[in-house]
Amino acid sequence: MNFELTDEQRLIAESVQRFVQDNYDLETRRKLADRDPGFSREHWATMAELGWLALPFDEADGGFGGNQIDVMVVMEQFGRGLVLEPYLASIVLGGGALKRGASAALREEILPGVIDGSRQLTLAYAEPQARFDLHHVTTAARADGDRFVINGHKSMVPNAATADHIVVAARTSGGQIDTGGITLFLLDAGAEGIRRNNFPTVDGRRASEVDFENVEVPAERVVGEVDEGFSILNAVANDAILALSAEAVGVMEMLYKSTVQYTQERVQFDHPLSDFQVLQHRMVDMFMEYEQCKSLLYRATMEAARGDDETAQRTIHALKHLVGKSGIFIGENAVQLHGGMGMTEELAIGHYFKRILVIDSEFGNADFHLEKFAA
Amino acid sequence: MDIELAPEDLEFHEEVRAFFQENAYKPGEDYAQWRLDWFRKAREKGGWDVPKWPVEFGGPGWTPAQHYIWEQETARATLPWDMPFGAGMVAPIIMAYGNQEQQERFLPDIRARTVNWCQGYSEPGAGSDLASLKTKAVLSEDGKHYVVSGQKIWTTAAHIADWMFCLTRTDDTGRKQEGITFLLIPMKQDGIEVKPIITLGGAHSVNTVYLSDVNVPVENRVGEEGKGWTYAKGLLQHERTGLAGLSRSLVALEGLKENARSVQRGNGTLMDEPAFRAKVAELEIDLMAAEYTELRSLASAQAGAAPGPESSILKLKGTEIQQRIQKLTMEAGGIFSAAWGARPVGPKFAKGGMAGYLASRAYTIYGGASEVQKDVIAKNVLGIKRSAR
Repeated sequence: MNFELTDEQRLIAESVQRFVQDNYDLETRRKLADRDPGFSREHWATMAELGWLALPFDEADGGFGGNQIDVMVVMEQFGRGLVLEPYLASIVLGGGALKRGASAALREEILPGVIDGSRQLTLAYAEPQARFDLHHVTTAARADGDRFVINGHKSMVPNAATADHIVVAARTSGGQIDTGGITLFLLDAGAEGIRRNNFPTVDGRRASEVDFENVEVPAERVVGEVDEGFSILNAVANDAILALSAEAVGVMEMLYKSTVQYTQERVQFDHPLSDFQVLQHRMVDMFMEYEQCKSLLYRATMEAARGDDETAQRTIHALKHLVGKSGIFIGENAVQLHGGMGMTEELAIGHYFKRILVIDSEFGNADFHLEKFAA
Repeated sequence: MDIELAPEDLEFHEEVRAFFQENAYKPGEDYAQWRLDWFRKAREKGGWDVPKWPVEFGGPGWTPAQHYIWEQETARATLPWDMPFGAGMVAPIIMAYGNQEQQERFLPDIRARTVNWCQGYSEPGAGSDLASLKTKAVLSEDGKHYVVSGQKIWTTAAHIADWMFCLTRTDDTGRKQEGITFLLIPMKQDGIEVKPIITLGGAHSVNTVYLSDVNVPVENRVGEEGKGWTYAKGLLQHERTGLAGLSRSLVALEGLKENARSVQRGNGTLMDEPAFRAKVAELEIDLMAAEYTELRSLASAQAGAAPGPESSILKLKGTEIQQRIQKLTMEAGGIFSAAWGARPVGPKFAKGGMAGYLASRAYTIYGGASEVQKDVIAKNVLGIKRSAR
């Protein structure tokens, strides 16, 4: 039992930290977020060069053979820097689905480009009526000879505007909310019948509503087995929750530390704000919630990396609950303690707060996971 | 980073379990004798009677993983009665600041659990602001003993204690943190009077201790005169890390869930009630996180690093969790929790539900109130300095 990062992981953390320092001051970030595609292709190429995009893929697929702990190390630093590049969408979601379910031929065709940064992926899983239930799928895929025809609608698909391929969850059998009967397909984003309606999200990222109208896909582009897609979807969602939670922990660290710093500089009533005990105690509460999230993040990530799925599943529910609840608590108080300045776009604090709000809304919010945990 | 227990840890786990099983109390046995034997046998295992003592004083020198395993097992086993004041609190001070003669004189009895200690810190005018204490110790003209007079309060177990480690004031001319002297005072002597205080839960565990011209030989002073505050601060740190009690809370939480499932609610049980179930789940999640906060803290201690920032939150989180368990237990007992004393009404677990809850309110007061802990964290961990303005 130990909590030390390996030398390799420490090097990665330092290199991401350096990247953030060199490239992600608030002003530069704002410029990236304000115009399409909402991130920097140059940065994406740098991330590929530095090997970060290869981390969670098997060595046989040209990857680094890393696990959830390696991704955690990267995502925590991304959170501290509010990095915009679609690591989650392309590597954790799309890449995660292919890594788990795609045939050798499909992996060979797609993954090298994902790892070298020339192709981007995403996963279309959410639907308007589903709220947070991954298995509530109405988008339908009808078998037609050696191909499938897909019709339906997916919501809030991250990075769909720039993705070259979309992994989509569609129903091939069963009732609307059955876990059985869901199949994952790998689609070319430009395939006929796919219509994307792109928009920015609150945190400066990009998402799309995506319509599928008689989209044809050959049977060999099924990811995993027909009707058996849910287990892949769920495993990918768990990895996504771990990655988002790591990012959130990085965000929370910046939120509480910036607040501690700001209250020591801001003078009111002839005192730095940090002289006031009521504010000191609030900041201690923020710090404690951050440390608790970090502890639970380590726990869930280590359990998942160890392959102890049943234990990890419960801890992942616990984690997403705590990260949502504590993240918003820390964010609200960071804004409150910054006073009027906390309400402006000028300070980083509000941008961190926005990101934490969006993270809570993804893959089930705090209440959703509390209910799952308690079930 | 991994959570696998090494093969030698798994072996250790088995060994601990076997030890607890072999030495469990058997009905009809002489309890006092069993207790002393238990500690003797634990000692023969290589310092298991004093897990947290340094190796040079006979501690086992366990790894964090071993400490963790021990804590988990002790929470489940029925261990002999033991107060924290001796081996847990005064011993580390004597080891760090006492002279060799004091170490040889006091540590063996503390270790054997043949003497009971109590802590003479708080006073009517010195609670969270402990340094305001006024109990006076005046050195006699021949320099052979101190004459101690004053009043201590909230003194747990003073009524059964043989000794008290006591903060006294030997000088009131400087800063209040200066001029405090650490004395070891025998309780069974003239001039010491112990009066019980009955707290909200109806129990007698704390007392008022009156000291009137009590003679304390100068050999009973630990360290230098006037330096007691520094020594006590080190001890407070010890006390705080020991108060989280997370393993015990885990066991208590299991019990709470089981009890709640035994309470009927319509066609289901109390655990089917969404509001109650959500509170239990939130509690469990906080506890799961705190467990790893503790492990992180143990791991940084093992690596020889100063305790990381995570350590500072353990007392706060741990005591809050204990209180929430007591509160939910009271709620689960419903109306039956209100029965006072040993009346046999309602489910067994509900007996004393409210009394237990009331007693638990002290958890965030003793050992430094939570608000004082937060002051300390703000200063020492967040690095907030009060300005001179």
